[in-house]
Amino acid sequence: MARLPASPEKIIASYGPHLNYAPREGYPGRDEPDDSVKTHCCFCGMQCGIQLLVKNNKVVGFEPWMEFPFNQGRLCPKGVERYMQDNHPDRLMEPLQRVEGEGFKPIGWDAALDKVTSEIKRIQTAYGPNAFSILSGVSLTNEKSYLMGKFARVAVKTANLDYNGRLCMVSAGAGNKKAFGLDRTSNNYTDLEHAEVIIVTGANVSETFPTLTYWLWRARDNGAKLIVVDPRVIPLARTADIHLPVKPGTDSALYGAMLKYLADHDMLDHDFIDHHTTGFDATIAAVQDYTLEWAEAVTGIEKEKIQQAAELWGRAKTSFLLHARGIEHHSKGVENVLGCINLVLATGRIGRPYCGYGTITGQGNGQGGREHGHKCDQLPGNRDITNPADRQYIAGVWGIPEPELPGKGLTAWELIEAIHRGEVKGLLSICFNPLVSLPNNNYVREALEKLEFYVCIDFFLSETARHADIVLAGSLHEEEEGTVTTAEGRVVRIRRAVTPPGNARADTDIIQALAARLGAGDKFNFADSEAIFNELRIASKGGTADYYGITYKKIEDNMGIFWPCPSEDHPGTPRLWEDKKFATADGKAHFNPVQFREPSEVTDAEYPVVLTTGRVVSQYLSGTQTRRIGKLVDQIPEPLLEIHPELAQRYNIRQRETVRVTTRRGTADFPANIVETIRKDTVFIPYHWPGRKSANQLTIGTLDPVSKIPEFKVCACRLEPLGVFTKPGEIPAFGSI
Amino acid sequence: MEITSYKTEMEFFVDMQRCIGCKACEMACAECETNGHESMIHVNYVERAVTIQTTVQVCMHCDDPVCAKVCPADAISKDGFGVVHSANTARCIGCSNCVMACPFGVPIKEEKYDMMMKCNMCYDRTSAGKKPMCATVCPSQALFYGTREEISRMRPNSTPVNSFVFGEQVVNTKVNIMMPKGSTQLKVH
Amino acid sequence: MHSLNRKAALIAIIVTLGCVVISFYGSRKLQNFDPALIAYLFGTLFALFGGIYRYCVWLQRPPTWMYFTRTWQMVFTGNFFVHAWFMLGDAVRNLLLQRFIYPRGNKRWLAHFLLAWGCLAAFAITIPLTLGWINFTLDPATALDPGATKLYNANFFGFKVMDFKLGSVMAFLIFHALTWCSWAVIAGAVIFLVRRLTNAGLIASQTFEGDLLPLILLIIISVTGLGLNFSYAFMKGIAYDFMSVTHAIAVILFLVWIPFGKFFHIIQRPAQIGAHIYKLEGKKRGMAVCPHTHQEFTTQLHVDDLKTVTKQVGFDFTLEDGSSHLDYSPEGKRSLLAMAHLKARQESGSFFG
Repeated sequence: MARLPASPEKIIASYGPHLNYAPREGYPGRDEPDDSVKTHCCFCGMQCGIQLLVKNNKVVGFEPWMEFPFNQGRLCPKGVERYMQDNHPDRLMEPLQRVEGEGFKPIGWDAALDKVTSEIKRIQTAYGPNAFSILSGVSLTNEKSYLMGKFARVAVKTANLDYNGRLCMVSAGAGNKKAFGLDRTSNNYTDLEHAEVIIVTGANVSETFPTLTYWLWRARDNGAKLIVVDPRVIPLARTADIHLPVKPGTDSALYGAMLKYLADHDMLDHDFIDHHTTGFDATIAAVQDYTLEWAEAVTGIEKEKIQQAAELWGRAKTSFLLHARGIEHHSKGVENVLGCINLVLATGRIGRPYCGYGTITGQGNGQGGREHGHKCDQLPGNRDITNPADRQYIAGVWGIPEPELPGKGLTAWELIEAIHRGEVKGLLSICFNPLVSLPNNNYVREALEKLEFYVCIDFFLSETARHADIVLAGSLHEEEEGTVTTAEGRVVRIRRAVTPPGNARADTDIIQALAARLGAGDKFNFADSEAIFNELRIASKGGTADYYGITYKKIEDNMGIFWPCPSEDHPGTPRLWEDKKFATADGKAHFNPVQFREPSEVTDAEYPVVLTTGRVVSQYLSGTQTRRIGKLVDQIPEPLLEIHPELAQRYNIRQRETVRVTTRRGTADFPANIVETIRKDTVFIPYHWPGRKSANQLTIGTLDPVSKIPEFKVCACRLEPLGVFTKPGEIPAFGSI
Repeated sequence: MEITSYKTEMEFFVDMQRCIGCKACEMACAECETNGHESMIHVNYVERAVTIQTTVQVCMHCDDPVCAKVCPADAISKDGFGVVHSANTARCIGCSNCVMACPFGVPIKEEKYDMMMKCNMCYDRTSAGKKPMCATVCPSQALFYGTREEISRMRPNSTPVNSFVFGEQVVNTKVNIMMPKGSTQLKVH
Repeated sequence: MHSLNRKAALIAIIVTLGCVVISFYGSRKLQNFDPALIAYLFGTLFALFGGIYRYCVWLQRPPTWMYFTRTWQMVFTGNFFVHAWFMLGDAVRNLLLQRFIYPRGNKRWLAHFLLAWGCLAAFAITIPLTLGWINFTLDPATALDPGATKLYNANFFGFKVMDFKLGSVMAFLIFHALTWCSWAVIAGAVIFLVRRLTNAGLIASQTFEGDLLPLILLIIISVTGLGLNFSYAFMKGIAYDFMSVTHAIAVILFLVWIPFGKFFHIIQRPAQIGAHIYKLEGKKRGMAVCPHTHQEFTTQLHVDDLKTVTKQVGFDFTLEDGSSHLDYSPEGKRSLLAMAHLKARQESGSFFG
C-alpha cells in the first residue's frame, strides 16, 4: 500500500527538499537575541559545542562556543549552517495522512494517533506481534533512544526493533566487545596531542569529522607521524607522512602483514601481551603467511610503504589508531576492526596517556544511541537481550514480567528482507531514511511498497517518509532537552532552544502518547527528558555502558562526563583501561585471529572496476537535513564519480561526461570527475543523494556475519560513458522512479 | 570606528598547508555582519585534476595596499589599525581594478551590486575584541587569530612571514603566513 | 594635507570666475539677484570651486585618468552614436533610477532614490535662484488690475520662459517644489539613519562624520526648510528667525562640505558609466586568459592598463621572464601563492610544527 501517493515532483513541490537561505541581512533579531543557548551541533559524532541565538522562539543564528573543550569554537561547514534547518519552509508543522493521487493532507493529532494505534493492533492481531516493526536512529538523544527501545518492547511488544546504527558502527561495536568487552573509543581526543604515530584508516576525517582534524594537526605540530590508509588521497593524506592507498576490501590483509612484520622483528610489548591479553599465538599463527610481498599483491600498496608504516608503528612509544566506516562497512567489517585492535594490543599501547585506539563514531549520537537499547539484540546499558540476568534486571526496571520482554529481533537489513517475505507488515520509523541510506535501494523501495501500514515520525518529509500512511510531525535536535554521547564517550547536554513550531510535537511526547493509546501509559508518564534520563541511569546501572553516576547537573558543571560513571561521586572515565582490567569475562584484552578473505563481490570480466562509496564534507548521511540547506547544497550540488585519468582513458571518459555505472543491483548515471587522487582500479561515489542520484542503487546488501552491517564500501561495477555533459545540479534526483 | 575594542596584540596567521578545503570559513564569513551574507574568503582547489590541495585566502591587509592605490574612485581605505576596508559603497564604481591588481587575488566584484567587496577582517567582530569568524571556526586552524606568543608556543618550528615577492615587487602585509622556521620571505615568483 | 594642486586650482578658479560672470549678467547685472541669499551665494561659489578642484585632483590620479581618457577615446572612436545611446541608457539606469542599488536591498534603493532625487531637484531649484539665474516676476498687467487673477512670469537669465496664474495647479507645484524635495529627503534620510543605527555590520564600520553627519545635516536642512514655510503660512512667523538661521548654517555647511565629504560621490558617480563602456569595449577587443586556470578572467585591455597604472602608482609586478604577476587571474594568483608555500614547506621537510 505504501507506494508514493503522488508523483515525486508533486510531493517535492509541497514538502521539498527546498533550499533555505538566510536573508541578506540575517534573520531579524540576530544582533539582539533573547537567548544564546549552549548546545551542540547535530551533524556528527564530534558533537561540537555551539551557541544558538534565539529571538521570539526562533533560531536566528549562531555564535561559536569558545569554552567547550573539544572544539573551542571550531566548526565545519555543516556546523556553521546548522541553524538553517530552523525556520525552514519544508518543516512539518502538523500530522499528515496520505491521500491517493494527491499526496498528503493534514490530519488532527487525535485522528493520527488513533489510526496508528488501531493499525498496530490490527497487524499484530492478524499476523502476530513481531509483524509490526520499528526502525529508529542514532541522531536521537540518549533519552529518545532509550524511550524507543522501551516503547518497542513494552508498548508495541515487538522484537523487531532496529536502528540505523546498523549502517554505522555495529562492526566497531562488535569488534570492541570481542576484544575489550566494552564498546567505546578508549581515549578522549586530547590523547592524540602527544601520540608519536597516528594511524587513520578508513576515516575521511577532514570531510566527515572536520573538527577532529585540529587534534591530528596538534599532534603533528608536536612531531607525530601520520599514516593514512585510504584508496583516495583524502585531504588528510595529502600531507601525511605515509599514505597507503589500499584496494577497497583488502584492509585486513594490510593489518595482518603489519602484525606479522611486528612479530618477525620483535616490535612487541611482551609484558603487556603476557599479562593482559589472550589469544596472541593463534592470532600470529593466522598471519604467518602474510609477507610484505603477499600484502603488496593483495592490497596494491607497495611493500616498502607497508614496511615503513609497520616500522613507524612498531617503534613508537605512544600512538593512536583511529578507524571509521571505511573499514567497517564490509562483509568482514568486524574482522577489519579486530585486525586494527590486534596491532594496538601487540604493541601494548592502550590505557596510557597518548596511547589510544578507537572508532570515530559517525552519527550525532552514534555512541550513546548504540548503548541504550533501540537495537534488536540489546537492552539499556549495552546489555544483551539474550542474557537472562540482563533481561531480568531490565524487566524489573520497566515493571514487566521477564517473559513478556521480547527477545532478539531482526537487524535493519534483515527487516527489509522480512518485509519482502511478507513476515513483517507494519513499520514505524523515526530518524531513519532507509531509502537513501540502505544499500540496493530499489529493493528497499519495493519493501516499503509491500507494507500494509507505515507511520513515520520526522520533522522533514524524507524520501522514505513519502511512502508513509501517516506522518507525525516531530521535533528537531534543538527542540527538546536531552543528552548525547560524543564519539569520545563524553555525555553532553543538548538544550532546547525553541519549542516545536506549529502543531509539531516533541518526539518524546509523540512516543508517550502512542504508548498510552497502546495501553502502556503507566510505564510512559515521564514529566520531562530529565526523568527519562534518570530512568536510563538506573537501567544502565551495572551494564558496560554505565551512566548511573551521570546527572544533568554534573554534565552541565563539567561540560560533559565520560562514561562509565558508576556512581554520583565518580568523575567519569576519559581514558579507559588505565588499570589494565578489561571488561571481558576474564578481565583480559582478547586478540582475535583474522585471516584475510575477499569481499563478497570481486571484480571480473563483466564488472571490472571496484566501486566504493563515502561522504562529502557539506552533507550529513542521507541528507534529510543538509540537502535542505542552500549553501551546503551549493558547495557540492551533486554526486560525482571520482575516477583516475588512466581508468577514464581506458573507457574514453572525459571530464564531467555522464558515466553510466552498472552493478548487479542496478544502474545509475553520474558526471565524471577525473582526478589523480584515487586508485587506478577504483571509482568513488558519495552516497547522500536520493533517487537517480543515489549511489545506493548500486551497492550490495551482503552483511557481515556478526555485525550485520552491509558492504557499502566495496562492490564490482562497469562503466560506460554516455557522451552527455551536464551542468552541476542540472539532473533532477527523481524522474523515472 | 569611533569607539573600538580592537586588540592590537592579536594578529592573523595563515598556513594553507593545513587547509582541508572544508569551507567552514566560507560559510562563517557570510555570517559576518558587514558582508550581508556574502562570503569574502576564498577557498579553492589549486589544481584538482592532480591534487586535493586547497588554498585559503583572506585579505592580507597590505602595508601599502595596491587595491587602494589603483582604485579610480578613492573607495578603499586603510585605518589606523592597518585594516584595509572594503570599498566605500557610495564611491565604488565597480571597475574591478582592485580585483585584478591585488597580488593575492582577494577582492571580489559582486556583479549583482556592481560593487567590489572584500574581507575587512570581520571588522564587526575584531573591533569588538572578538576573533574573526573564519579563524574562529577553522577546524584545521589553517586560519589562526591570536598573539605572536600563542602561535610561537603552538608551532615552534614555524615562523610567521609577512613579506612576499612577486617578481620585482615586494609586498609587506599585516597578515602573516606560517613558513618553515627561519624563513623571512615567501617568493611567489 | 596634500599640497595645493596648481592645475586643479587654476581650472577651479577659471570655472568659478566664469560662473560669477554668467551670474552677473544672468541676473541682469544683479537686478534679479536676491540680496537675502548672499550667504548662500558664497556657499555655492565655494562649493563650485571646491567641487571642481577636487574633481580635477581626482581626475589626475593615474587610475582615474586612465579610465577618463579611455572612456572618451572609446566614445569617440568607432560608432559614436552607438556609444552615446549606450551612455544614455546607462545614465537612465544608473543615475536616474540608481538601479545598481536595488539588488543591495529594495528598501535601500527606495531610500537612496528619494534622497538623491530630493537633493538633486532641490539643487536644480535653489542654485539657479541663488545665482540669480531664475526669478519670478508678477506680470505688470495683472498686478495693476485688482480684479484680475495674478499672473506670474518665470524668467531664466532674465528671459521669460513661462507664465502661470496664481492659485493654479502649476503655481502650487512650483511654489511648493522645495517642500516636495524636503519630504523626499527626510523620508530617504530617515530610512538610512534607522538602518545605520540598527544594522550591526554598519555600526561596526561607519564613521560619524562620514556616514551619520551627512544624514543628520540633510534632515536638519529639510526640516528647517519645511519649518520656514510652515511658520510663514500657519504660525505667523513664530520661530522663523531661528529656523532661518539654522537652515542657512546647515545649508552652507553642506555646500562647503560637498567637495570633501560623502557628497562628492554625487559628482563621481557618472564614472560608473565609463567603467561600463571600458568593460564592454574591452570585451570586443579580447579577453585575457589566466596561465594557471586557463580561463578567461578580464579583458586584456584591463590587464595591460593595470600594468601601466600599477607602475604609475609605484608597483612593479614584472617577473623575471618579462611577464607579469598581473597576467594571472585572482584564482591563479591564490593558487600560485599556495604552490610556492607548498614548495617551501616540502623543501623544509615538514608541513607542521
